[in-house]
Amino acid sequence: MTSADITSGYSEGRVIPRQWIVTGGRIALAVALLLAWNWGARSLGPLFFAPPFATAQRIVEMAASGQLFTDIYATMRVSVVGFVIGCICGVGLPFILRLSPRATDAVEPFIMASQGIPKYALTPWLILWFGIGDAPKEIVVTLFVFYIVFITVSAGIRGVDQRIVNMARILGASERTIARKVIWIALLPFFFTGLKVALPRAVSAAIVGEFLVAVEGVGFSIERARQLSDTTGVFAGIVVAVTLVLIINAAVNALERHALKWRPVDRDMQL
Amino acid sequence: MLEIKALGKRFPVRAGREPPPWIIQDLSFSVGAGELLTMVGPSGAGKSTLLNIIAQIDVASAGEIVFDGERIVSAEQKVLHPGLNRRIGYVTQDDNLLPWRTTIDNVLFPREVQGTLDDAARAQAQELIGAVGLSGFERYYPHELSGGMRKRAALIRTLVYDPPMILMDEPFAAVDAQTRTQLQEDLLRLWSLKRKTILFVTHDITEAIALGDRALVLTRRPARIAAEHPIPIPRPRNVKDIFTMPNFAAIYERIRADVQ
Repeated sequence: MTSADITSGYSEGRVIPRQWIVTGGRIALAVALLLAWNWGARSLGPLFFAPPFATAQRIVEMAASGQLFTDIYATMRVSVVGFVIGCICGVGLPFILRLSPRATDAVEPFIMASQGIPKYALTPWLILWFGIGDAPKEIVVTLFVFYIVFITVSAGIRGVDQRIVNMARILGASERTIARKVIWIALLPFFFTGLKVALPRAVSAAIVGEFLVAVEGVGFSIERARQLSDTTGVFAGIVVAVTLVLIINAAVNALERHALKWRPVDRDMQL
Repeated sequence: MLEIKALGKRFPVRAGREPPPWIIQDLSFSVGAGELLTMVGPSGAGKSTLLNIIAQIDVASAGEIVFDGERIVSAEQKVLHPGLNRRIGYVTQDDNLLPWRTTIDNVLFPREVQGTLDDAARAQAQELIGAVGLSGFERYYPHELSGGMRKRAALIRTLVYDPPMILMDEPFAAVDAQTRTQLQEDLLRLWSLKRKTILFVTHDITEAIALGDRALVLTRRPARIAAEHPIPIPRPRNVKDIFTMPNFAAIYERIRADVQ
């Protein structure tokens, strides 16, 4: 391919803006998925595959009765509390460990080993300790979020350009100032990558937690529908969960664009 | 102002290996107050290591350094004081600007972290930005600036907090010849106004002559002083036409002969 071929794609001969093509492609894909979903429902029957229209209708009914918002509130409450605690620990611990390489070497294998614990399997044990309220679910969410944030922030701290840190020291910055104004900012791209992985996990961990123990919540509504062989209810719950994750992701992306607007090009994946 | 006494540097000895070679050995020289001392040496001679030790981001293995009559570096030293409590500035080979800060915020960074950011500091930063021709680029990020502009920003970031001594490690090596001449003129103008003590390391003999009151020549590793040359070219100097000065060629030849 010659260079003329490469540039021709960007020449004035092209009339449709790139954004339109992307949006059009997304709409086409969504329609195709809906059609496939509908086809699946028709050929397999509503017990195995709830039709899209019935699912939408169910969500509208849930919204009308207010149950939808009670469930979303319950799930978000658990997700947010667990997420915030997980983030604080996941960011704070690497910063503390940074002060002592020896402590880092000593502690790290334990953190990595504890990562192998199946977190959902802890739930029954946590219920034994904390009862059937939000606490056991929040702890499970915290654990999911903590490891992801801890690993990405640790990698970020290691990736900070040591020359810039030394320069900041020479310019008279204290270690605390360096942590806040140099290292923290420099690792933000890593942190946001961690957030994008951790946030959907936080929501799905809260939902799975609700399968096991809950009296309300999106996960609870899915589990209850399953027990009643109400496939439409299960699908409605899944659609609500997916929508929640999409909204959260959009919020994180907006936050990231704002925090990293200094970067030369947008090199991050937009999920 | 600054005295280097029998300074030595080698990397830590490791068990089961041959003792590591000396990078710097028995290096002694001094820099007078208000002097602009240039230092020429071949690549890999340990020039950057020397400046890192003086700036206290690296440790010495032998000898000591005295600054203003006070012993600041010794081989037994356990705790480093990078920048010697803002008394020694350091302009490194890479500009080391913070990529997420605009020019003005990078220049004000030292004042901000030192807790001395006030209107006077802002005015001074603005003045320095004007003095090196960066006006209009205050709100640009480093990646939006040219290499020469980044060097200027890094230079005035050190000047803005007024350390009495500044170390410069080939700060203009990575820019084209024309920009380099411009930067050298900027430096000489700023130096004539402020009369800082400057230790300027370079591998470019012309640069060492154009800028320095004195030029030291370093040997190959391990670094020692091979020779010392006064530069009797009157100031203010015209950097662009420095090689037309009557004694330039003779000084150049003498230094070149000493640089191995």
